[in-house]
Amino acid sequence: MRVLYTSLKYLAVVLWSTFVIAPFLWAVSTSFKDFQSVTNGATYIPWVDFEPNLEGWRDLWKSPAQGGVDIVEPFFNSVFVTASGSLISIILGTLAAYALSRFTFKAGFIRNGDITFFFISQRIMPPVVLAIPFFIMLGKFSLLDTLAGLIIVYIVLLMPIAVWIMVDFFNKVPVEIDETALIDGCNPLQVFYKVVLPNSIPGIIVAGMFCMIFGWTDFFFSFILTFTEVQLLPVAIVALNSSITPWWSLSAAALVSVAPLVLVAFIVERYLSKGNLSGALK
Amino acid sequence: MNFKHKYLFLLPGLLVLLAILIFPIGFTVRLSLSSWDSFYPALDFIGIENYVRLFTDDARFWEAFGRLSLLSVTTVFLQYVIGFGLALIVWKEIAFQRFFRVLFLIPMMTTPVIMTVIWRTFFHESLGPVNDILSHFNLAPLWLSSETLSKFTVMIVEVWQWTPFMFLLLLAGLLSLPKEPFLAASIDGAGPIRTFVYVTFPLMAPISIGAIIIRLIEASKIMDTVYVLTSGGPGTATETSSFYIFIKGLREFQFGYSAALSLTYLIIMIISFTIIAKILVKLMVRGN
Amino acid sequence: MSLIASNLSFKPGNEWHLDNVCFEMSKGQIYTILGRTLAGKTTLLKTLAGLISPDEGTLTLDDRDFGSIPVWKREVAMVYQQFINYPHLSVYENVAFPLKQRRMQSDQIKARVMKALQQVGLDGFENRKIQALSGGQQQRVALARSLVKEASVILLDEPLVNLDYKLREQLREEFRNIFSSEASKDSILIYSSTDPVEAMQLGGQILVMDEGRILQQGTSKEVYENPNCTKVAQITNDPAMNLFEGRVENGRIILSSEIDLELPQHCKGLATGSYIFGMRAAGITLNSTGFPFSVELSEISGSETFLHIRHEMIGVVGLLDSVQNFNTGEVVRVQFDTLQLYVFDQNEQLVSSPYRGLE
Repeated sequence: MRVLYTSLKYLAVVLWSTFVIAPFLWAVSTSFKDFQSVTNGATYIPWVDFEPNLEGWRDLWKSPAQGGVDIVEPFFNSVFVTASGSLISIILGTLAAYALSRFTFKAGFIRNGDITFFFISQRIMPPVVLAIPFFIMLGKFSLLDTLAGLIIVYIVLLMPIAVWIMVDFFNKVPVEIDETALIDGCNPLQVFYKVVLPNSIPGIIVAGMFCMIFGWTDFFFSFILTFTEVQLLPVAIVALNSSITPWWSLSAAALVSVAPLVLVAFIVERYLSKGNLSGALK
Repeated sequence: MNFKHKYLFLLPGLLVLLAILIFPIGFTVRLSLSSWDSFYPALDFIGIENYVRLFTDDARFWEAFGRLSLLSVTTVFLQYVIGFGLALIVWKEIAFQRFFRVLFLIPMMTTPVIMTVIWRTFFHESLGPVNDILSHFNLAPLWLSSETLSKFTVMIVEVWQWTPFMFLLLLAGLLSLPKEPFLAASIDGAGPIRTFVYVTFPLMAPISIGAIIIRLIEASKIMDTVYVLTSGGPGTATETSSFYIFIKGLREFQFGYSAALSLTYLIIMIISFTIIAKILVKLMVRGN
Repeated sequence: MSLIASNLSFKPGNEWHLDNVCFEMSKGQIYTILGRTLAGKTTLLKTLAGLISPDEGTLTLDDRDFGSIPVWKREVAMVYQQFINYPHLSVYENVAFPLKQRRMQSDQIKARVMKALQQVGLDGFENRKIQALSGGQQQRVALARSLVKEASVILLDEPLVNLDYKLREQLREEFRNIFSSEASKDSILIYSSTDPVEAMQLGGQILVMDEGRILQQGTSKEVYENPNCTKVAQITNDPAMNLFEGRVENGRIILSSEIDLELPQHCKGLATGSYIFGMRAAGITLNSTGFPFSVELSEISGSETFLHIRHEMIGVVGLLDSVQNFNTGEVVRVQFDTLQLYVFDQNEQLVSSPYRGLE
């Protein structure tokens, strides 16, 4: 019984791991192929099945005029938009979450819970619902096809996540710590930056990671709201998915885009094992 | 605590969000009452004509909605079952525990559209590895161009992408559970199955409900994957609500009509989530 | 030089948390607010600190309107029952925090912090992390932080309740020494507690609180000897004072068809009628010629035994000086020491006590 249970467990883990890794392995293998080895049918192991070359990887640095895909600029655009959007969302979201966790708000029938729900409910909004009005609004302010326009949209996308995680985090920090700081002579703003903030770093890191994940992986808004001037990484890569797809550079580009966030998986796991994440996620 | 400083904390975030959203939402409402399209780009007023059309003469919208329901409910169910299973396995002692935890998290860190581009090559019907392997069994399924199978392919990709999110929420939940009930169960001599049914599952019910709702909300927005993998095809076989609204609005430029679709869809979503949340609470929190 | 509260009221929902609270407290004294959980003790302390703004009432300290000063300028100190410190700071930084907030010079800060740490017995712990300390040590840090400010009002909200028995006894003794020392002669010390024994040991004045009201204020001796109503009698005794109804007729106290007692000297002159009688557990003892009661429960506590016994409608707790075992349902004979009898009227107000006689 015990042996059966254990072997079933390992079987499940191995099967799922294979499923998880398969597309990555395929992408790695494909990134070293050329037109010849792709169109010959599926091949897997370099030197055995096909003759590897670095064309796919070299294409990433070549301009489109030279037949390359140039993902360097989109990569840094993505970094900039994700980082700025996350930073603004975390700052505003953390402040708002602190207010919602610690103070009482009353306005007509509106209570703290309703305000929190308003923030978080923005995640229910399908991107397509917002895309057309955003398109028209950004057009009015000449922000279409700019990084600033995208950052504004990303704030709507990411602030709900920051508020959601931080409200739960602050609710778990004893309010008596804030009260003690007040009694010790801090006004509410000093309480926040001298006492609350230094003790909220785990929560802020978790919120930051989630903002980064959801910002970095967003496709739709940059797809609709940018054209030629500004291109983010996902749009640049999906653009390769046209009629004659260069699978090799596509795979190489995909791996480059995925790599930075895989590091985040390690950080998330560290927090998970230390028990800091459960507090921030419930 | 109650000090007037509280507004300094709340208002920056609240006002920024309101400022960004108030125009889009108000404008969508107004737009839905107009016939704005590429032939006649103006904010005229046609009353509820768009809504009448939507409820009486647009089977494609309702089909897309039905398809979305099927896709999201099925995939979220699978994600929950698999995610819970995996979380239970790596929660307890297992070789390379931390390695597997990281590995199981990785797909959610990847950009869905970009991975879907890879999946497209993976399921390519003549050049992809899946059919290459199946060809040894004389099989050549049409993963992307068969009406039934293409839905299945979308599901595989969705399950791959988002099971990790479920896994993460559930594992975080499991790790935060108190130890005492498990100790009591083991003293009572309960085996792994009884422990799960009577201890783990009930304790995890609130977290499970939260995780399922979050995933359903995110899954209802599915469109990137569909856009890249099948473009809604073959025909309309994998067209979801979001994708249909996208086609009406940003491919056919029927801005007025797509606004009406958006609002209707949004209201249906809010109502459904409220009902689903209630049902889940009833189903999973028995006895309380 | 005193802190005066008048008509403090606070009713956030349907229940009064503070109901018309009035008192006057003077410097160099220790005041114990004694009451059961949820009696409003914490609310009162938080109101004094300025964390809660009462709906009504005023607070004055040395003729200044204390109530309108925001918390962070009020110069009070507070220790919570949870061990509250700043987790991101070391022991030294924790204690120095309120002084830094006042922009005091660093050599002055150092001198004061070291002195406070010495007072609470934590010298040598300056650089420790808060998380690396035991519960008792964490509470000492919190105490040091409240002493270092030399605040005019020091609030202690059940500071010992989360410590184990032995440590509680030890710290209580230390607290008393610190509070009676020179350093706190300019402070008003307000200590809240649920434990009557603790309140008696601390000495000073006791304010008995229930459902947001101050029921009685006086020295510990006064409150112990003459509780002004049944609730005070229960709150200030552990186990709570036994209360039972009965009638006074023809110079005798009739509790039931089988039990009647002779009216003791201090109760002579009680008019005929119904009363509520009170008797501490120590007044009820075993005696072979006493009345028959059946045992409901017996608890051994140290070298004493608490005996929960019942006769018809009368359920009381008796205290035996020795460790004895009883079976549930067993019939024992007990006697009531009428010299220790309290009498309350139908409105639960004190009519006669062994120490003061008839009012």
